Amino acid sequence: MTGVDVADVPVVDTDVLVVGSGGAGLMCVLHVKAAAPELDVTIVSKGAVGRSGCTRMVQGGFNAVLDPADSVDLHLRDTLDGGRFLNDQELAHTLVTDAPKVIHELETRVGCFFDRSEDGRIHQKAFAGQQFDRTVHRGDLTGIEIMGRLRDQMFRVLPNELEDVRALDLVTDVHGELVGLTALDARTGRALLVRARIVVVATGGAATMYRIAAPAKEKTGDGVAMCWRAGLPLRDMEMLQFHPTGLLAAESRMTGAVLEEGLRGAGAYLYNARGERYMERYDAARMERSTRDVVSRAGYSEIMAGRGTPTGGVLIDISHLGAGEVERRFPGMVARTRQIGQDLATGPVEVSPTAHFHMGGVLIDPDCHTEMRGLLVAGEDAGGTHGANRLGGNGVAESTVFGSRAGDTAAAEASSRGFGEPDPEQVAASFARAYAPLERDAGELPFPLTRELKDAMWVGCGVVRDRAGLEECLASLDELTERSAQVSVPGPAQVNYAWQEALDLENQLTVARTVVAAAQLREESRGAHYRADFPEQDDAAWSRYVVLRRAADGSVSSDTRPVEHTRLAP
Amino acid sequence: MMVLDLLLAIQREHDAALGFRFSCRVAMCGTCTLRLDGRSVLACQTPVPRDRDTVRLDPVAGLPVLRDLVVDTTAFWEEWARVTPYLVPRDDLTEPAVIRPDAKERQLIDPALDCIGCGACYSSCAVSAGSRDFIGPAALNRAMVLVADSRDAAGEERLAAVTGEGGVDRCHYVYGCSAQCPKGLDPAQAIRRLRRWRLRPRSSDDGR
Ligand SMILES: Cc1cc2nc3c(=O)[nH]c(=O)nc-3n(C[C@H](O)[C@H](O)[C@H](O)COP(=O)(O)OP(=O)(O)OC[C@H]3O[C@@H](n4cnc5c(N)ncnc54)[C@H](O)[C@@H]3O)c2cc1C
Ligand code: SF4
Ligand code: FES
Repeated sequence: MTGVDVADVPVVDTDVLVVGSGGAGLMCVLHVKAAAPELDVTIVSKGAVGRSGCTRMVQGGFNAVLDPADSVDLHLRDTLDGGRFLNDQELAHTLVTDAPKVIHELETRVGCFFDRSEDGRIHQKAFAGQQFDRTVHRGDLTGIEIMGRLRDQMFRVLPNELEDVRALDLVTDVHGELVGLTALDARTGRALLVRARIVVVATGGAATMYRIAAPAKEKTGDGVAMCWRAGLPLRDMEMLQFHPTGLLAAESRMTGAVLEEGLRGAGAYLYNARGERYMERYDAARMERSTRDVVSRAGYSEIMAGRGTPTGGVLIDISHLGAGEVERRFPGMVARTRQIGQDLATGPVEVSPTAHFHMGGVLIDPDCHTEMRGLLVAGEDAGGTHGANRLGGNGVAESTVFGSRAGDTAAAEASSRGFGEPDPEQVAASFARAYAPLERDAGELPFPLTRELKDAMWVGCGVVRDRAGLEECLASLDELTERSAQVSVPGPAQVNYAWQEALDLENQLTVARTVVAAAQLREESRGAHYRADFPEQDDAAWSRYVVLRRAADGSVSSDTRPVEHTRLAP
Repeated sequence: MMVLDLLLAIQREHDAALGFRFSCRVAMCGTCTLRLDGRSVLACQTPVPRDRDTVRLDPVAGLPVLRDLVVDTTAFWEEWARVTPYLVPRDDLTEPAVIRPDAKERQLIDPALDCIGCGACYSSCAVSAGSRDFIGPAALNRAMVLVADSRDAAGEERLAAVTGEGGVDRCHYVYGCSAQCPKGLDPAQAIRRLRRWRLRPRSSDDGR
């Protein structure tokens, strides 16, 4: 029995509710306020506003066509080539068309200042998998500049900020019309109900569920899991990107932190433990500058074939540029390696593929609409823009482009929807589920389960997959799901991260199951999804994307749909 | 092993209820600030001293503790808000400004730009922690950046605000802020600069 009495739960009403305060969330707030200043906007953010999530952690930069010698058609072609033509081409087209506008807005309105070339114009650097140097950046710590300035803008437009508040579940009225969501104030431990005309979900995806992973702590698939529970369709869930160069720092939480892609763009070499530049065997033409999927799989294969370092890594080396040059161009990365007793400026550093980004997510249209009226999804929570593989520099472009569009859509449509009456059964069920770990007297803590989940996904549904491994992985997830329904955490409810971890775990498991399910269906290899038992890309059978959906009774259905080549054919 | 790894191990193995914040674990979010033996540091970037059996961890100074090492940062951000921390674009800023990387203003701004709002400076500043009305080192550093930025139109008002009540004159130059900034910023220098700019508002020194 839950301690929460639905009638006593405080209710916050707001015109537009934005869930998440990364690049997508804060750009959305700015755009709502720019288009319709009279609208009341509320941010619900599990982590600190503007200082949680991965946009903050963007190192390399932002792809946008600014140079007259470049073109959006070329950017589109690179994006689709990179995505192995699995992309929703309308979303990819929107991305490349809007990206220059967003850079313009960031520079002239938001207050960002990106690095300049000698002539005083915005500098654009090379990034892997692109035919033109189009990556805008601020040193190698671009995310701090973007999120720092977006955070500053919040002091101008003054949204209602609910910081340290976790969104739990979307709630509809008894007829299925979206009303808002249930939430939990992690500071007070109290339940909260937020009603809104428009809800924008931008919680940033789920790539933390792997043993070695790059993202920020909050990214546990909450938004995707929330939409899944509400019955929304998900696409491309098998497409989980591994970044080829994650740091190896033994038991430290630093493990998995990314050494940025610009290193390979700038000419870094990758070696195995025998001193071979092994990329020769995998992509002799592009070598280290090949796309992430290829470089990650190459590193993984070297490690698995016993040609890795004793601690299970390969080596990245850029010291041939000279220590001074490396320090000047990659100060953040140099500091990061020195932190763990290595030194990028003077020698090779040990790295491993690391789970980085989820291409899969909720189905949206270019204006961020979903199937549910009043519900918009933007940023990494949405699927389709990147297809089977995301190009470095297209991630922060996606979150800010689609965050902006979600804001425009929300501003335009808010007045067409009113405030509904939430179905009390849904509200009660949501809070009962959330408070259960706290109310159970005995049971496991969530921490070991999280670890087991990360191991199971790393081994069974990681860089290389096959049927037997996926089946085993699913069996582990089944078992973990049962155990997670019995976890127990000590009180009190205030500022209780063990409890938060239990809730994170549940969402991670939910999303992990969809990743495995989609990976089982796709019997071919494409982009980030590599099946050792189906090593070839099979265009005849698999120019299709996998869509999963959960029915109200909990049953899961799947179908595959042909990719529409509305802009470019492969 | 970093202090953050130590905290995670305690949480996992000894005290599940231990309260501490972190997000990025790579010095980018600025949410894991605490005091290690009295010094304000980022937990994710500070190795656990190896020469001792015990270390002392405290929450950052000057902010109300919510639980264990978790503080309410509202007061820090209220100070930040006081300096009009966002760019007020000049009317003619319709295209990204053409500014050479070696321009004088960028030499002032670039080293002062990567503030992550961690509050280590605030925590180590006796004036900030002790009184409610000092604008504080991080916010003053932000103000300096904007005053120096030729794209901004609100420089004079901002300068007036930060050199007035609760502003730069409250600083006693103890340099705790600059000594403890984990990003290597120098807020004390920013404060000195703002004082100079007040005295010689139209001079060309420092590139203004
Ligand atoms: C280490 C790293 C480096 C990267 N470098 C690059 C790069 O160089 N170039 C590039 O293009 N892309 C890069 N990316 C990818 C890029 O960061 C993402 O594509 C993008 O920033 C995601 O933005 P977002 O707004 O969707 O989510 P995020 O910025 O991750 O924000 C998510 C927000 O949701 C909040 N949240 C989560 N759950 C809840 C909940 N239940 N309730 C309320 N709030 C919640 C979080 O607190 C956070 O505020 C990088 C990613 C990583 C991890
Ligand atoms: S100036 Fe330095 S210490 Fe102060 S908040 Fe910014 S990064 Fe932290
Ligand atoms: S966890 Fe982000 S700065 Fe330490």
